[in-house]
Amino acid sequence: MLSKRTSQAGRLIGLMLIVISAFTVFAQDDAVTLDVIGLTVPPDEIGTPLDISRQEFITDFHEANPTITINAIEAPPEFDTQIIIDLAAGTAPDVWYQGSGNLPNLVAAEGILDVSVCLDLVPELTLDRFDPNFLSIHQQGDALWGLPDGGTPMVMYYNPETFANAGIDEPSMDWTWDDFLTTMQELTLDSAGRNRLDPEFDEENIVQYGFRVRNFLFEWIYFVWQNGGDVISPDGTTVDGYLNSPETIEAITFLRDLVLEYGVAPSPSALDQLNQQFGFLTAFLQGDVAMFARGHWEMVGLRNNEIYTEDRVNIVANPRNVEAATVIYESGWVLNAALADDPVRLEAACTLIEGLTDVQFQSSKVISGLEISANVEAAAAAVEVSEYPEISERFVMALADGRADYATRFAGWAVLVEEPINLMMENILAGGDIQEEVDITVEEINRELERANR
Amino acid sequence: MASTTQLPTRTAKSRKSLWQKFWSSTNERMGYLFILPSLTHIILFLFIPLGFSLFLSFTDWRGTNIYNAPWVGLDNYEFMMGDRRFWNAMQNSAYYTLLSVPLGMAISLGVAVVMNQKLRGTYFFRTLFFMPVISSWVAVSVIWITILDPQAGILNYLLTSIGLPSVNWLGDPSTAMPSIVIIAIWKGLGFQMIIWLAGLQAVPEVLYEAASIDGANSWQKFRSITIPLLAPTSFFLFVTGVIGSFQVFSPVYVITGGGPRGATDVAVHRIYLRAFEGFDMGYASAQAWVLFSIIFVLTLVQFWVRRRRGEETLF
Repeated sequence: MLSKRTSQAGRLIGLMLIVISAFTVFAQDDAVTLDVIGLTVPPDEIGTPLDISRQEFITDFHEANPTITINAIEAPPEFDTQIIIDLAAGTAPDVWYQGSGNLPNLVAAEGILDVSVCLDLVPELTLDRFDPNFLSIHQQGDALWGLPDGGTPMVMYYNPETFANAGIDEPSMDWTWDDFLTTMQELTLDSAGRNRLDPEFDEENIVQYGFRVRNFLFEWIYFVWQNGGDVISPDGTTVDGYLNSPETIEAITFLRDLVLEYGVAPSPSALDQLNQQFGFLTAFLQGDVAMFARGHWEMVGLRNNEIYTEDRVNIVANPRNVEAATVIYESGWVLNAALADDPVRLEAACTLIEGLTDVQFQSSKVISGLEISANVEAAAAAVEVSEYPEISERFVMALADGRADYATRFAGWAVLVEEPINLMMENILAGGDIQEEVDITVEEINRELERANR
Repeated sequence: MASTTQLPTRTAKSRKSLWQKFWSSTNERMGYLFILPSLTHIILFLFIPLGFSLFLSFTDWRGTNIYNAPWVGLDNYEFMMGDRRFWNAMQNSAYYTLLSVPLGMAISLGVAVVMNQKLRGTYFFRTLFFMPVISSWVAVSVIWITILDPQAGILNYLLTSIGLPSVNWLGDPSTAMPSIVIIAIWKGLGFQMIIWLAGLQAVPEVLYEAASIDGANSWQKFRSITIPLLAPTSFFLFVTGVIGSFQVFSPVYVITGGGPRGATDVAVHRIYLRAFEGFDMGYASAQAWVLFSIIFVLTLVQFWVRRRRGEETLF
């Protein structure tokens, strides 16, 4: 009797479990939790306006889309390497914030999704919200590898006090290489206040340099473009005829001469000493170096510096020669390729990136000062509300002459091309023969490209 | 007379399960059971990755899906023959090895000899010398970057205070590698000292006593007794030192990043860049196997030299 009752109770419990399980399965059918990297801040930035804006976005998004929960994950160190490993291991997040320099590697690894599909799934998502310069970085043929979030053109930061010290006018947005060279010579001062054009200039007691020249390609590739040259063919198959073209060599010579011929930029060792003694930004703010090339993100470092004051920082577009040009660095939102197998998660992820690139969220993160929003409306509004409107406006103006970083087009760019060119320029700035260094580098890179493109 | 054959009866004792059979067998079989966890570990985390890496070296794997890796045969090895940067890095590794192994051994032997004396505080100093060994490379690097700072570093302060010019230790291509060697020797000193100490303490005291009776001074005893009897220890430290030096990576990665002007770009750093920044896993694997082959050959040469000199009979 007991066993019969036990058996009935067992059946009943079993039935209930089946019903509960079925209910749970159906109830979870529409509920999605997306793993997202790019919505957290480092521990020391918790509670900052940027952190608050991201937290608010997560909350608001969940309220607007109750079936989608965002699991915000902190970005691991060495992210660009880690994400490839995570993709191979099947542990990559669903959505992540990605510097566009790694896009070709992710595409080659078949790790990210062509988000054109989102344009059909989420009608609110339209491409006219994006600045075309930023959007084009993600477009390859008919494919759209993620959506742009924001970025920056490389511009020239200058310390207005150094111009006052030299008794010269601040540069204009349409200045030329000739203006640039003269300005650098006038800005470079010795301890007696004489500039480089003065025959009595004291080489041994330089207290103010005009400009910082470094070997890193990302800080000078646009000088090559401005001179009508380039470093690689449009299809990325060769550097011969580009890196060793007369225009490119002329631009490299111009940069080398700023250090070794005109002496308006510190030598690598002098720069190294400045860096180690004060930190470069402090050296800049205290007037040791009048100008340097960098992107929008440097505003954060400058504003956090102890001796920062508003009147010590301004920016100007890069000088033009044959043409005006600068390079753009950008980041955006990408989707894991594995989402293609899960329509529900895919739609949720598309909805999320629509929200992340919408004017509302884009406007709220302007306070970070890291970049110009890729959302045109948010970028325009940012200039209005910026704490440094003139600088913000100049950044947006400089964007017009921007070209995408080549790392966004060619897989393996950093190791195959950029690193050898950086070493080439390091040797040239240390006094190496330009033609010899260029020839060795062309041969080395072409060998690599031949192998990569076979 | 009909003969009757009695079939052997199966007793409970003879009906052993496989498990019982195994345990009641020889110790040799049981031994395999004991090594099974380690063997599994070695197969899973050593032999399989090694085999996989060897396989990868014949492919052009750059993606996340191994099934898409194109088989390229010996192309990676052929390409490597003309890879100027890789051989430059290999040359830097050899330079690092040539500097760090003999210097490190000599300095640590000197320290070990002092630490082997029956002096007050010896144990404290042994601990002190060993501390860098257990410190992280990042922490050690930060300390040394500060010490070697051309402006505010204590080393340049000491140099200039005795009238010598200051040196841009990590920024000058000619001093960057020696600086890395100094740091690596300092960090590894404690380990080598412990090995030397073990060797020194194994030298029979009677030999020193006999030498003293014969009128030998300290240097003669050290040269004629200590050094020859430390041959096994020297050999061990030399072999492991060469292997470790060719694999140097952490100080280069953290302190110089391979610069200035490629002066500290060593082989493992180059392999790392290829694999994890260029995602060129196939070629990086080929480079790793060439590095392994070079280390292997060098180790064989060391064993051969030892055999030729008849030193193998010493230990």
